[in-house]
Amino acid sequence: MAPGPDGHSGADAAGGTAGTPGGVRAGARATDGGTATDGGTARDTTGHATGGGLLGVGFRSLLKREILRFVRRPRNTFVPPAITNVLYFAVFGVILGGRVGTIAGGIDYLLFILPGLVVLGAISNAFENASFSIFHGRWNEYIHETLTSPLSYASMVLAYILAAALRGIIVGLIIVGIGLLFTSVPIERPLFLAAFMLVVPLLFASLGVIGGLVAEDFDDLTVMNQFILRPLVFFGAVFYSLEILDPLYRTLSLLNPMVYMVNGVRYGFLGYQEVDPLASLAVLSGLTAVVALVDVWLFRRGYGLID
Amino acid sequence: MEPAIYADDLRKAYGDVRALDGLSFAVDRGEFFGLLGPNGAGKTTFINVLVGLAHMDGGTAEVFGYDVEDDYREARDRIGLSPQEFNVDRFFPIHEVLEHKAGYHGIPQGEAERRAAEALQTVGIYDKRDTRFDWLSGGMKRRFLLARALVTDPELLILDEPTAGVDVQLRRDLWGVIERLNAAGTTVLLTTHYIEEAERLCDRVAITDEGRVVDVATPDELRSRGTDKVYVTLADAPAETPALDVDGVREIDRDGDTLVVTAGGGGRVAPALLRELEYAGHEVVDLDIRRASLEEVFVDMTRVDDEAEELGVVG
Repeated sequence: MAPGPDGHSGADAAGGTAGTPGGVRAGARATDGGTATDGGTARDTTGHATGGGLLGVGFRSLLKREILRFVRRPRNTFVPPAITNVLYFAVFGVILGGRVGTIAGGIDYLLFILPGLVVLGAISNAFENASFSIFHGRWNEYIHETLTSPLSYASMVLAYILAAALRGIIVGLIIVGIGLLFTSVPIERPLFLAAFMLVVPLLFASLGVIGGLVAEDFDDLTVMNQFILRPLVFFGAVFYSLEILDPLYRTLSLLNPMVYMVNGVRYGFLGYQEVDPLASLAVLSGLTAVVALVDVWLFRRGYGLID
Repeated sequence: MEPAIYADDLRKAYGDVRALDGLSFAVDRGEFFGLLGPNGAGKTTFINVLVGLAHMDGGTAEVFGYDVEDDYREARDRIGLSPQEFNVDRFFPIHEVLEHKAGYHGIPQGEAERRAAEALQTVGIYDKRDTRFDWLSGGMKRRFLLARALVTDPELLILDEPTAGVDVQLRRDLWGVIERLNAAGTTVLLTTHYIEEAERLCDRVAITDEGRVVDVATPDELRSRGTDKVYVTLADAPAETPALDVDGVREIDRDGDTLVVTAGGGGRVAPALLRELEYAGHEVVDLDIRRASLEEVFVDMTRVDDEAEELGVVG
């Protein structure tokens, strides 16, 4: 079984819980804290800023914290999907792909699977970042640092989602970079590509927030990835074209939301479409908005967060 | 002016357990206020309601006039909390944890860095600023929790068992810091098992039990409600316990040549006691009054039956 880009979730979890030196120590060195007396700005902040507006200082502080968390631990966050995708490209693209030849009306197989792998990496990492960060904060209760602050719940959720989506996007770019080692990568519809690569990680970051709130154990996070994300992805037309399926399975596939994401990103790269990308984009955007609102509602209720 | 804390008829149940059962009291601005009560009296639940870590089922809670649910952002911005449990971000060196916390309260980066350094200096762990929380010693962890509560420059400092498991010297240090803050105007709400600390530090204390406030008073007032013991040593051991008709005396025991008199107010009964004894022909050679401690009063007020052991009273 292929390890998948999420195969490192255990390591991420273990490193974090035990507070082991692992990937964490690098961060400590990186920020040689000596910034102590910077003079600072004026003391006008003693008034009550209450964390500012939706995108105010409070929001930006949490966003920064969330981004630094994954950026400073590349061995847990960026290296694993890079390695996994080198394997995918080598085995499925080069070794098996050589036998498959072209697919979907003359597209090189390696190039055909690239958009799917980008989606796979982006959503796994977006989901994992949000779910792990929130669950780890709950597990060690330091999410209280955020919850007891004057940040609005919408600001909190937005910071978690944007940081997680950013990690998904960065992983997507890394996978494109790896693809470039094997083949040239065209970008036929850059605007569509950008839109899908924004919406899809945002959607899974938002879903990851729910995952992080409902999980009761680190194993639950793994289960979500293994039993929900991965089957959807593997039957989401990452590795094959819908047109090679029997009509029954093709119809069934259209119930899988992953099909629309993979198709949309593939349309952006290759200009090849099996379902209407504009409709997909509209549905995915709407879905993202709904899930994000659910996130805010859950935070406001304190679901999984407070007594 | 609105009080620093106003609680009225707070209710909160966990299943069948009523953690808060009509809790009501108010803390004035600038007060050093102690919240005492046996384990399970609802102290931490009350604090969690104030900071947004527990939803109340009913009642009203306000911080400086801001409702903790309707105006939660205003209320939380005024509170600095040093919790009982260690709940610190494990991913970042401690100075960054403080900068993030300040940031969540709307304090810009430069100022946040300055305050983080200042808070670490205040509690005396500035040289550990690049260390992760997990790698601090137990005492340093407690200090850090206080620094984190201070970094947002709160008007209300809530300390939930801030000296649990901390050695004597460090406790003195921490109290020094907190007393200075209080002197400078910060309102302090303290829960502690070390009752003599509350007795020494607090302007007023609330005794809570089973989710309610049993009484609110100054430590002196509370002590005066307890029973003192007057030890009267006589020149000759009496053959039997003398019957003394003195107002306020509850009980007289005999221990060799010493009479142990239990009375409502030791100082008030002593002169009459001496007169009565001398009138009865006894020669008094020594007198010692031991005042009730707040702890004894506390135990009396919160005792269910003989379960004093389970009250979690630490001497």
